[in-house]
Amino acid sequence: MADRKMRILVVDDANLVRLYYRQILEEADFEVEEALNGLEALERLLVSPADALIVDINMPRMDGVTFLRALRRQALPLSSIPALVTSTESSATDVEAARVAGANFYCAKPIGREDLARIMAMFCGAPQ
Amino acid sequence: MVETKLLDAEEYRRLCDYLYRHTGMSFTETRRYFVERRVEERMIATGSSSFASYFSRLRTNMQGELEKLINASTVNETYFYREDHQFACLTANLLQERLRVKLPGETMRIWSAPCSTGEEPYSIAIWLLENWAEVDAHDVEIVGSDIDTNVLEAARAGIFGKRALMRLSPALADKYFTPAGPEHWQIIDELRQSVRFTAANIVERAETRPHGLFDVIFCRNLLIYFDDASRRVAAENLYESLAPGGYICLGHAESMSRISSLFEVCRFADAIVYRRPPEAPHG
Repeated sequence: MADRKMRILVVDDANLVRLYYRQILEEADFEVEEALNGLEALERLLVSPADALIVDINMPRMDGVTFLRALRRQALPLSSIPALVTSTESSATDVEAARVAGANFYCAKPIGREDLARIMAMFCGAPQ
Repeated sequence: MVETKLLDAEEYRRLCDYLYRHTGMSFTETRRYFVERRVEERMIATGSSSFASYFSRLRTNMQGELEKLINASTVNETYFYREDHQFACLTANLLQERLRVKLPGETMRIWSAPCSTGEEPYSIAIWLLENWAEVDAHDVEIVGSDIDTNVLEAARAGIFGKRALMRLSPALADKYFTPAGPEHWQIIDELRQSVRFTAANIVERAETRPHGLFDVIFCRNLLIYFDDASRRVAAENLYESLAPGGYICLGHAESMSRISSLFEVCRFADAIVYRRPPEAPHG
């Protein structure tokens, strides 16, 4: 067992959504950090890295796709943090834009509680 | 009764007229004791030697006296998850109905007015987190408004006593509150940031209009304090604040059909609510 909890950064501009994901993830024994947009997420990651990311697409100041592009240009190991992209947009072009920017996986919202916990456990390689 | 009245009949009538014109609240003879006690408190607080001098202070609104008297005269007793069958209706029916006509990505707007010390709008946020499977898929804006600026301050601070939390399960209380002194709990920051509090008088169109259009309004146990004329004005303002097809939930003792024919009544499994008719004729 790891000597610390896996840390997930939730990047979403909606307060209720961040709180909702935080509750699910904390119940599943993750540690949760939050950022309101891509810029804040980049800044936060430079201070304290995360084991995995949950990234919304539509956010003010810096959207999810722009954030991922910027993140993947950073030096290792920062650039390789796995990122789940979540969005209410689920068209093929939205998914493709996220994939090209460096998303590891894409989920259309709403995401079920169990699905979210399970996907993040897989992202972190946490034994189930 | 030997107790002398603070105000004579004419003074009481002038005071009530004045309050009515500025708040829409109608204080009849039956509430005289309550009103006189509030006036007495304010006279002492302002060092007014007679009702006449207090009344002139009130009419010139010296140092915001009107607001202070209103704050002292409103009833603010409520609690979390009060009449939660309406919240069940919100997540089971109203939001789904609204989503069918909203554009993708459009914000779902919910108004709690009057919101008192915040129990109702915070309850809505907690209810959505606990019971709406699509809570992460939509932008939700929850606004709480009240005429009483003191309660808005308290709502923003989000500290509550035992009575306010009595209907919440220990699990919910533990999840959404942190201890804040003896027998008091503060709602968690994330929830405080999820509700926006603003001052608004429901009978003043100029104060309701800037809030824009809402999908669902909770206006519970306010109209019972109004007389018929104020109720009609309030109903019209609430109608104007609803998006076409939007819903309004009243308190269990209130009926919109008795006040106004602007709304249509809708019966759902958990609650009876009112709706501003949609603009398209087929609904």
